[in-house]
Formats: sequence, C-alpha cells, structure tokens
Amino acid sequence: QSATSLKISHQFPGGTISEGDFRDRLSRMFAAEVEKRSKGTLKFEVYPGSSLMKTNAQFSSMRKGALDLSLVPLSYAGGEVPEVNIGLMPGLVTSYEQGYSWKNAEVGKELNRILLDKGIVVVSWIWQAGGVASRGKPIVEPEDAKGLKIRGGSREMDLILKAAGAAVVSLPSNEIYAAMQTGAMDAALTSSTSLISFRLEEVSKALTSGRGAAYWFMFEPLMMSKAVFDRLSKEQQAAIMAVGGELETFARKSAQTDDSLVAAVYQKAGAKVVDLSPATVKKWQAIARATAWKDYGERNENCAKLLMLAQKTL
Amino acid sequence: MSHGFELKPPPGPALPDQPALAAVAKLLNLLNSALLKLSMAALVLTALVLTYSVVSRYFFQAPTDWQDEASVFMLVGVTFFCTAYVQSYRGHIGIEALAALLPRRVNLFRLFLVDLLSCLFCAFFSWKSWTLFHEAWRDGQTTSSTFAPPLWIPYAMMATGMTILTLQILLQTLAHMTNQPRQGEAP
Amino acid sequence: MSELTLGALYGAVTLVVMFSGMPIAFALGVVATGFMYFCMPASSLDTITQNVYEEMASITLLSIPLFILKGAAIGKSPAGKDLYSAIHTWLHKVPGGLGIANVFACALFAAMAGSSPATCSAIGSAGIPEMRKRGYSPGFAAGIIAAGGTLGILLPPSITMILYAVAAEQSLGRLFLAGIGPGILLVLLFAGYAVQRARKEYSLALKIYEQGGAKSAYLEDEHFTLAQKVEMLPRVLPFLVLLIGVMVALYGGFATPSETAGLGALLALVLIAVVYRVWRPMDLAPILSSTIKESTMLLLIIGMSLFYSYVMSYLHISQSAANWVVGMHLSKWLLLAVILLMVIVFGFFLPPVSIILMTAPIILPPLKAAGFDLIWFGIVMTVVMEMGLIHPPVGLNIFVIKNIAPDIPLKDVVWGVFPFLVLMFVAVLLLCVFPGIATGLPNLIMGVK
Ligand code: NA
Ligand code: NA
Repeated sequence: QSATSLKISHQFPGGTISEGDFRDRLSRMFAAEVEKRSKGTLKFEVYPGSSLMKTNAQFSSMRKGALDLSLVPLSYAGGEVPEVNIGLMPGLVTSYEQGYSWKNAEVGKELNRILLDKGIVVVSWIWQAGGVASRGKPIVEPEDAKGLKIRGGSREMDLILKAAGAAVVSLPSNEIYAAMQTGAMDAALTSSTSLISFRLEEVSKALTSGRGAAYWFMFEPLMMSKAVFDRLSKEQQAAIMAVGGELETFARKSAQTDDSLVAAVYQKAGAKVVDLSPATVKKWQAIARATAWKDYGERNENCAKLLMLAQKTL
Repeated sequence: MSHGFELKPPPGPALPDQPALAAVAKLLNLLNSALLKLSMAALVLTALVLTYSVVSRYFFQAPTDWQDEASVFMLVGVTFFCTAYVQSYRGHIGIEALAALLPRRVNLFRLFLVDLLSCLFCAFFSWKSWTLFHEAWRDGQTTSSTFAPPLWIPYAMMATGMTILTLQILLQTLAHMTNQPRQGEAP
Repeated sequence: MSELTLGALYGAVTLVVMFSGMPIAFALGVVATGFMYFCMPASSLDTITQNVYEEMASITLLSIPLFILKGAAIGKSPAGKDLYSAIHTWLHKVPGGLGIANVFACALFAAMAGSSPATCSAIGSAGIPEMRKRGYSPGFAAGIIAAGGTLGILLPPSITMILYAVAAEQSLGRLFLAGIGPGILLVLLFAGYAVQRARKEYSLALKIYEQGGAKSAYLEDEHFTLAQKVEMLPRVLPFLVLLIGVMVALYGGFATPSETAGLGALLALVLIAVVYRVWRPMDLAPILSSTIKESTMLLLIIGMSLFYSYVMSYLHISQSAANWVVGMHLSKWLLLAVILLMVIVFGFFLPPVSIILMTAPIILPPLKAAGFDLIWFGIVMTVVMEMGLIHPPVGLNIFVIKNIAPDIPLKDVVWGVFPFLVLMFVAVLLLCVFPGIATGLPNLIMGVK
C-alpha cells in the first residue's frame, strides 16, 4: 500500500524541526512523529508562511476536504462560523491552566461537537498569550488606551478597545511595522510569538507582556479536515490524535517561553516592559463582559451556550 | 502594463455580421458601458473613502474601521464588472508572437480554439462563483473584521462579472464562426 | 511522476498555452484548472473561486487601480505635456539638454505613476516628436523615452513593488524608499549618456553641414527669454504639490500606504480640476476608463496567477525547484546570477507583474536562505525587469514607442535602446558592489532593519 500524503498549511515563518517559530516546529514534529508511528503509511508536507494558500482560505478549504491540516487561529474563521470567535475572547481565558482545561471540560466538548459538525477535527489544543507593543507609554490599565490609535486585530478586541476610548485602526499585518514607525498607529495587540517575528521592538517604546497574568489568550489549534480524517484507517486516526495530544505539552511550554522571550527582546531593545496584575486583568475582563462577550452571546444559541460553559472554567 | 494607455479611444467593438448575434452584441455593449460608468463612479468613490479615513482620523479624531473593506469590495466590483468590457475590445493581453508566423487559415483556427477554451474556463469559473455566492448567502458569511460586511456582496459581483465575460467570449466565438471572411484581417 | 518532472510538464504546458495567444489571465487559469483536475483532489475545484477572491481581496493589491488613476490623471490631461515643456525651457542650452529634459520628465512622472508603459506614453507623446524636430536621431529619441519610461516601476509608487512586498512579506514603505537611490543612479547614467550621444550627433551634423550637406535641426539655435522661463515654472508646481503631499502623508504617519494610494489619486484629480479645468464627467471619462481598462486587465492576471501559483505550490513544484536550485550548492553570488538570468529569460516574454507573481514563491526562499536582504534584492530584480521592458521580443515600452511614433523602424528602436540596456546592467553591478545605493535611504529614514 502506498503512503498517503497530507499537507499542513500555516501562516507562520518557516524553519526547521529544531529551530524557528514554535508553531512551525510543532507542525514538523507532528509530521515526523505521525510518519514514524503510522509506519510510513502517512507522509506530510509542511507549507509555512502561507506558501500554499492565503490564511483566510485555509479553514474553508479544510471543510471542503481540499486542504488536509492547518494550524491557524480559530477565530480567523469567525465570519464563516460565528461560534469560533470564542477562540479569541479577551478576558474569557486568563491563564494557560484555564485554557488547557477546556479540552476536557464541557465547553471543549461542545466546541468540538460544533467543529465536527462543520467538518473540522481538532487534533492539538494550542493556546497562546499575547501582549501590547506601543510606541509611547505602556498600555496597562484600560484608561491608558484612551485616545490612542490601536490595532486590536480581532472584532472582539476592537469592541473592547472602543469601549476603553481607543481609536481602533484596521490595516493588514504586513503594514503594522511601517504604521508603528510613522505613527499612523500607536499600539498593536498580538501573540507573544508574533510580537517577536514582526520585530516591533525596533519601533516600540513599551511592551505590556503576557507572561504571568493576561487577558488576551488565543486558541490556535492544529486542525484536520474531517472528510480526509474519515478516509484514514483506525490506526492512522489513532496515531494522529495521540501525537496531536502529546504535542500540547510542547506547545504550552513554547508559548510560555515566548512570553518571557518577548519581554527579554523588548528589554534588550530598550523598551519598557510591564506585567499585568490580576486586578488589572479583572478590569479588562469587566469591559469585555459588557461588550465583546455580550455581542458574542447574542449571536445565536450555540454562542450563548459556549459562552456560558466557558465561564464555568473561570 | 496594457497598451491601452497610448491607444486612441476605440470606436467601439466591431459588430458581428450575423444579424441575431449583432443584436445580442449591441445589448451586451449597452450593459458593458453601463457597468463601466458605474465602475468609474466607484473608483472615484474609493479614492474619496480612503481620503476621508485619513481626514477623519487626523482632523476629527474619529478613525474609521471600514474604509479598507469598503474599498476592497468596490475595487473587486470594478475589476469583475469591467472585465467583459475589456474583453469586448480584446484588451486582455496575450502573447501574439505566433500570429505573424502562421498561415492565415491556421491562424483562424488557432484564434477559434483560444476563444473556445477561454470561454469554457470562464463558464466554469462563473459556475463556481455562483456556488460560492450561494454558500455565503445561505450561511450568512461575513468577513471576520469588526465591520463584518456580508461576503455575498463581492461574491455576487465576481459571479455576475464572470458570467457577462463568458457571454462576451461566447459571442465573440460565435461571431468568429459566422462572420464573412475579410481580406487580410484576423477577425 | 516526480515533482520536478511534473514541474517541467507544468512549465511546458504553460508555455504552449501562452504562445497560443490566449490572454495571459485565461491561460494561467486554464493551465491551473487542468492540472488541478488531473493531479489534485476533486474537492479542490470547489475552492478555486474562493482562493482567487482571497488572493485579490487585499487592500495592498487593490491600491493598484488607484496608483494607475493618479498617473492617468496627469498623463491624460495637459499636465504631462506642461511638465515636459517646463523642464525643456530650462535645460535647452545644456548640450543634450533636450535629452536630459526627457529623462528628468520621465523620472518626475515615474514618481507619480506606478507603471512603466504609462510613464513612457505620457512623456513620449510630447518628447519624441520634439527631439526629432530638433535633429535627434529617431533611434536615440526612442531609446531615451523607452528607457526613461522604465523608471516607472523603480521610483515609487510602483505596481511591481507592491506585488513584491506582498510576496516577500517586506515593508512596502521601506521598499519604495529603497527604489529612490537606484532611480537617481539610473537617471544620472541615462542623462550622462544623453549628453555624450547628443554631442556626437551634433558634431556629426556639423561636419555634414560644413562639407556642404543638409543643415540638421541640431544646428538651429533656440532661445527662451528669462521671462518665458519664469513663466513656465508654475507649471511644475502641481507635480511638486502632489509629490510632496503624498510623501508627507505616508512618511509623516498621517496615512497607511493603501490610504496614500487613495489620497494621491484624489489629489491628482483635484489638481487637474483646479489647474487645467478638467473636472466635467466628459473630461474625466477618458482618464477613468483607461485606468479601469488597464487595472482590470492587470488584476485579472494577478488573481489568476496567484491561483496558478497555488496549484504549483500544492503540487510541490515551486518547493522542489527551489530545493533543486539550493541543492546545486551554488555560492551566494552564483545563485544570484542564476536567478537573475532566469528573471531575464522570463523578461523576454512576460511583463514584470507576471514575473514577480510567478517567480517570487520559487526564488525568494533560497535567496533568503543565502543571506540576501530581500529589500535589496527586490530593487535589483526590479532593475533587471526594467531591462525586460525594453528588450525584444515582448517589451511593453517598445510597443508603446511603436504606437507613439509608428514611422520609426523597429530596428532603430531596438538599437536605440541597446546602450540603455548596458547602462542598466552597469547599475545592477553597482548595486551588487554598493548595496547602500538601495538600502541606505530606507535605513536612514526608517532605521536599520
Ligand atoms: Na513609479
Ligand atoms: Na522583454
């Protein structure tokens, strides 16, 4: 029997199995380990840096069975499946413990059910904290955001920033650097790993780090097309799910390493690095509850249910 | 990159010889010119929208978050709405290096084949665009931004534009088959 | 079938379909769909349209029509001719001054338009007849305009650079700035050559006249009074307002690059309305329709070539080709030479936009791995593609010249542009030896990357 070849697509910078962006490394480790355990009946090709298709096309292509696997922030598909916006709901997850507890909690089971229904299998649960890079003073308390031009990067974060009195800026991610440099934008929120790869420390004076407490947690799982998954043998399916689960430890450790690393990088570049206190996180959470959570919960019944279940893990 | 810049405004695409086809061609030309006018307005409007977003952010401290997507939608519309118009003048450039080398009859056959294949491709693309439109409409898909405009709008423009383009090429192919041979001229 | 064989087949089929004369956009779509049908899962066919849409729905890409509009507003109104006359009034006393004036006019217009053929036609339609009227040989006149026009994609804004920035994931602002130094270098090289060649043609004309031959127009003296010269100055003002306005908006942090495109287009329309009274729908229609024609054709090619490269990537062709090149273990500079040679070969047949879209995914990873600065390479590649615009068989600027001055034999045009090809090659060498020509300015303004 000839080997089945599967494609893993992601938008992050490409590297090797031992070096580079941990999300790319995870994809490569996954490929190598599954290939081994499936005794070579499954082979993989990793496509980093959106070299196969545009980021936004990945989710839909997986649903149709035209793409096999992808590691992508789940909320990017929010326009197609509104429920998935829960994957980037500020304040709803405030620690790695809590995020990873979803998998076996009711909220995780419900999210899994909804995604399966849409033709998607979650292979590996990956959470990542993020922070704020700013070209002026650090944005710690909600009041600090007032009057500044900030890129929230998602619908939910934008709603919160607006409520905090910030001017929300929308622009493509490849223009963030230039916009921060010229001052077209004052601050940007994104994951710790992306804060490093965008090299924003060169144009920033301050960083609000996501190490320790954070209100910005993003769910970016390794996902697989259900249509493709169903065609595989029981053994192959088992190998995929087992390796996916085992890599979660690596993902969590790497994400936390990057949370510290980004702080070190900014410190070295001469930027002021500030950590969040649990009390500050509570303040952001209060705004989120009144804006983004409410907006999400009112989308449909599934959303309301997911939100309710997620709050149980708080 | 086109040569369109330096060309004098064309007198209008040549009508097919066959009367029924000529009538359809006239209708299609009317439709194309209406869509062109609409697109001209959309182009100026896009420039206005992007300028407004700068002005509003700097002078009124009221940033807009919809300007990029509104512009994308309008420019996608402009592109697809006018693609049949461009085709009516054979404005989609190709490499015509062979035209000078081949005998006239072979050339005619080559042009027919090119049109037929182009037509089939555009028909296929139109069909898949309409399916995409249908999915977006049925599931209420939007973009994933804060502004979150519905995706059926650009998909519908893409599907409409490609459908008209298919008709345009089909008409050109049929005209090609029915036109009287002209002296020393490739149809 | 191995990936490289499949790649060769993909390339061969593409060449056949393209040379059949099928419009490039459809040719790319047909080839990609065909290979998708035979080599990819059936469900892929359902994703074609969404892929094309996602590729196109980028505000960076869609700023292209706005940059074209800005150029067309100037080039299709009397503004282009005025710019040219004003520079000429001031430079006509300098030996070869008319040639220099044309190079400068091309450069200034290039700084406003995003494409090379647009620059070529805007300046050439006034410039070529004027130069010939004053005795310049037809080939020389054609050469200056064809070469000067290529600056359109090197001096910002530039459509090809927009595409490159998207493909290479580099900052557009930085790339635009990097084009300015090499742009000035080429202007100086072109101008220097124009002086030398004009002198040669002048002395030849003088010799013929002294030996009793015909009196060339070179020998006629032309005079402008100071008043006439001063009177011409305000005509350059709208260009400066436009240039400076857009620069300040972009680098002063007022606007994002895509907003700058909209702002620039609107500013150009306002300027021609105020200065040249071009504002009625009837006056604007030719400007808008030519913009739409050019950008529709372009964007359809872009959309389809992104789809084409998706299929290529899915079939692992690009990656295998890149691996193959990397696997040859060429030294850093040999790798660059091989890649530039490939760009030149593509330049025989394809416009710069298509070259970028089709080669970027293949050539950028190995270049990055070899340690080249991708901003610098973007500039070098742009200069090499400028050469493609003026060399046969497919050279868009040559077609433009044939359109403006149909009576100049193609042979004369080709020989006329040849010296400029050599100068561009010299510029590429200089860029390799002194990369700072390109990277200096962006590093100065935006900080060292
Ligand atoms: Na330019
Ligand atoms: Na060429």
